[in-house]
Amino acid sequence: MNSIRLRLLSWLLACVALVALAAGWGVYRAALLDADTLFDYQLRQLALSLRDQGVAQGLAGPGESYEVVVQIWDDSGERIYLSHPYSDLPQRATLGFEDVSSPSGGWRVYSVQMHGHTIQVAQPLGVRRELARAHALRTLVPVLVLLPLLAAALWFGADRALRPLLAMARELRARDPALLAPLADEGREAEIRPLVRALNDLLRRLAAALERQRAFVADAAHELRSPLTALKIQVQLLERAPDAAGRRNAGEQLASGIERASHLVEQLLTLARNDADSGGQPFVPVALGDAVREAIAEVAPLADARGVDLGLAGAEEVSVRGDAEALRILVRNLADNGVRYTPRGGRVDASVRAHGQEAVIEVADTGPGIPAAERARVFSRFYRGRVGEESGSGLGLAIVKAIAESHGGRVELASAPSGGLLVRAILPREMP
Amino acid sequence: MRVLVVEDDPMIGEGVRAALHQDGMAVDWTRDGKSADQALQNERYDIVLLDLGLPARDGIEVLRAMRARKLRTPVLIVTARDAVQERVRGLDAGADDYLVKPFDLCELSARMRSLLRRSAGRAEPVIEHLGLTIDPATREVTFRRKPVSLSAREFAVLEALMERPGAVLSRAQLEDRLYGWGREIESNAVEVYIHGLRRKLGADFIRTVRGVGYRVPKSP
Repeated sequence: MNSIRLRLLSWLLACVALVALAAGWGVYRAALLDADTLFDYQLRQLALSLRDQGVAQGLAGPGESYEVVVQIWDDSGERIYLSHPYSDLPQRATLGFEDVSSPSGGWRVYSVQMHGHTIQVAQPLGVRRELARAHALRTLVPVLVLLPLLAAALWFGADRALRPLLAMARELRARDPALLAPLADEGREAEIRPLVRALNDLLRRLAAALERQRAFVADAAHELRSPLTALKIQVQLLERAPDAAGRRNAGEQLASGIERASHLVEQLLTLARNDADSGGQPFVPVALGDAVREAIAEVAPLADARGVDLGLAGAEEVSVRGDAEALRILVRNLADNGVRYTPRGGRVDASVRAHGQEAVIEVADTGPGIPAAERARVFSRFYRGRVGEESGSGLGLAIVKAIAESHGGRVELASAPSGGLLVRAILPREMP
Repeated sequence: MRVLVVEDDPMIGEGVRAALHQDGMAVDWTRDGKSADQALQNERYDIVLLDLGLPARDGIEVLRAMRARKLRTPVLIVTARDAVQERVRGLDAGADDYLVKPFDLCELSARMRSLLRRSAGRAEPVIEHLGLTIDPATREVTFRRKPVSLSAREFAVLEALMERPGAVLSRAQLEDRLYGWGREIESNAVEVYIHGLRRKLGADFIRTVRGVGYRVPKSP
């Protein structure tokens, strides 16, 4: 399970156990040493008291304890006393403390001399160690008992420390999904605050995107009304057409109405796809000259049908980084717009050129143009300022602007030399 | 019946024009606010269909301007703006009715008839006079309880004369009610329709006022 609490706890408990182990070992070692010192002291005291009190009188006392063996030699080396006859204490004497071994195990021996007698007091090492270990273990008991208590305390501590996270989760769960208001930042724990800030940032961007989408859907629904109204009227005219000629005429009108509604829907989709933050195709180097030539070829049939002379006035070899399809749509919309708003017999010129660090696409028409005061408004969606022979979707320039901006560029409007409209799309150029 | 249609969308404008023309109305169609203003100053209309989102001049401004000139022609707003405050704004600016797109042609015709009825000072939908009844909604005509079948143009001429019995309408006034802008007017068309009507309704139902025009007598 992936849990902060478990990770925190296992880390803390591992540290505690390690510390307890080290401390326990240290305490154990110290206890052993203490016990050694104590036993040695007892041995020595016993030997000294035997010497001071005279050999014969003092023998009864130590003899009671099997764990201490006393033997005494005279100066000829003859053993004159042995407290436990069956013990196999070796007959050797080095004055002071000494560890010796015998067939039955090791001994700790203290020897002292007195008037030619040698008094030797010995204790089996096994017994000493047993006692020392029991003593040391007793000192460890509190540590071992406290360890689980400590773990439980840590568990509760971690639980309490993580409570703000749970509280925030509850707060988020209880939220109205439509409410994208930021979470309160005040009074949050230092560890939670970055999370809250990141969440708020996300919520802000989400709210903006949602608002854009809402506005777009509202606009689109509103704008679809006109072609739908036209279609409805055309269907009713078809129904009530009195004769074959009337029906044919009404049928043609209906077909062009459907054509127009489809065009609007297509433009809406294009705009939605090229809107900022929509995440389109990866950018690649695109030769603008080719994009313009292709777009002009696509719009040429419309220009022919409307008697407008559409052509390429000049194409320098300029490249930009971008989405080739989107850039072709940009140029096509510029050309299409020019053709739609230019009267029969007019002229639409497209061109591409490099200007410093920028690539400039220009489309100039000989139509009525747009007064300078109205130019800022024409980029808004569904704006239709110019009365032409046929109304467009009102989305052309909005699409051009969205695509230019998603490529880090911009769109400008100016007057063409003929008095018509000059639209200029400026994109950052890819330097060779 | 002469109608001014103010509509910037070419397809809707063309469709409405065709439909009203089929009903025997004379339709003038303008596509922006400025030319609507001019048309309203130069011509007399029985009813105006007004879109609000117009190039050059907003529909509401056109409406306010015409009401400021004391022009009482009924105005039916036909628009895609469906918000309540827009409707209130339109009606308060002087419109007589409000129709939201997309609409049904039948409903458009019914609302126009209702407005025309009220502007003629009538409440009943059927016009009745001297044994002749005409129903503008169904275009049914009966004379002395027998149904009479009329062409759309004949009906339009008869309707014009029946709206105000006794009043004399000149040939030019009748032509105005029959033909919109740019329609070729046949030189003796009105005479042809009057002749047809007299054939079906009897010679003296419509009287000629020599040198002035035609009228339906107020009493026999």
